[in-house]
Amino acid sequence: MKTDHELIKEFQEGRETAFNELVKRHLPNTYGFFIKFTADEVEAEDLAQDVFIKMYKALKKFRFESEFKTYLFRANVNMSNTYLRRTKWRNLLHLDQAPEPGYVDTNLEDEWRRKELWDAVSKLPSRQRMVVTMRIAQEMPYKEISKIMRISENSAKVNYHHAVKTLKDLFKN
Amino acid sequence: MKIEKQFQDISQSQFSAPDGDSFLEKLHNERQRRIGKKVSFLNGLSAGIIVAVFGLITTSQLTDDPTIFASNDLTPLEIMDNETEEFVYELAEYLVENSDDIWETLTFLDEIEFETVVTMNNGGLE
Repeated sequence: MKTDHELIKEFQEGRETAFNELVKRHLPNTYGFFIKFTADEVEAEDLAQDVFIKMYKALKKFRFESEFKTYLFRANVNMSNTYLRRTKWRNLLHLDQAPEPGYVDTNLEDEWRRKELWDAVSKLPSRQRMVVTMRIAQEMPYKEISKIMRISENSAKVNYHHAVKTLKDLFKN
Repeated sequence: MKIEKQFQDISQSQFSAPDGDSFLEKLHNERQRRIGKKVSFLNGLSAGIIVAVFGLITTSQLTDDPTIFASNDLTPLEIMDNETEEFVYELAEYLVENSDDIWETLTFLDEIEFETVVTMNNGGLE
């Protein structure tokens, strides 16, 4: 089986099928990241599509300085930040769509709580937001988070700890 | 809401990824659509710029000042070529010799500053 770098090299030489192979290989992880984020299959697929369309252009200049997985994950996190910024404004305008108190539809309530949680995450400072996103959406170990964000492992843990504390305070209020 | 429980629920939620081939087909179609949209936008922008520049050049030629039109039609005597100069002199001479009222003709020539002819013909008295 060819490595990611070998596939990228082939793609840079003009073989589009190499790009397709790369997409198929990483689609489950990328889609999985976004579905945990959005809880919406269509949105998750759109976001995954956006990321890979950007990759199609960006890989032509890929310099092989890092693992493709790391590079892709950074793109996922950036896309998630864009999504959070977009939904922050959408949520502000759609406050009346919260479920009525006393009405219990477990699925809807779960979805709304998840949206409420991500809405709160969007309010975090950017570093904390990125660490929390990677921990929740990808269950990524701190070591890997530190590599992606180019910070120390301890710094990643501290950011996560502060983020959780901030979120708890937000929900308490 | 227990944050950690929420995190756990999200992390452990099950999903099934879309089919690779159909995802790729949609991806490449969307990619082509975006390229087409970008090309159309750039073409529209270029056309708009050309029309704007052309429009500006054209409107800058327009003027309400009649002296500009008049001055374009009348070449000063000093820069006429020999042939044209000769023709103008012949024309002025014809006007002087064939006019019903010589004084009116001379006034006209005076107005258009045709001094040479006036001097040459001595006011039509010769």
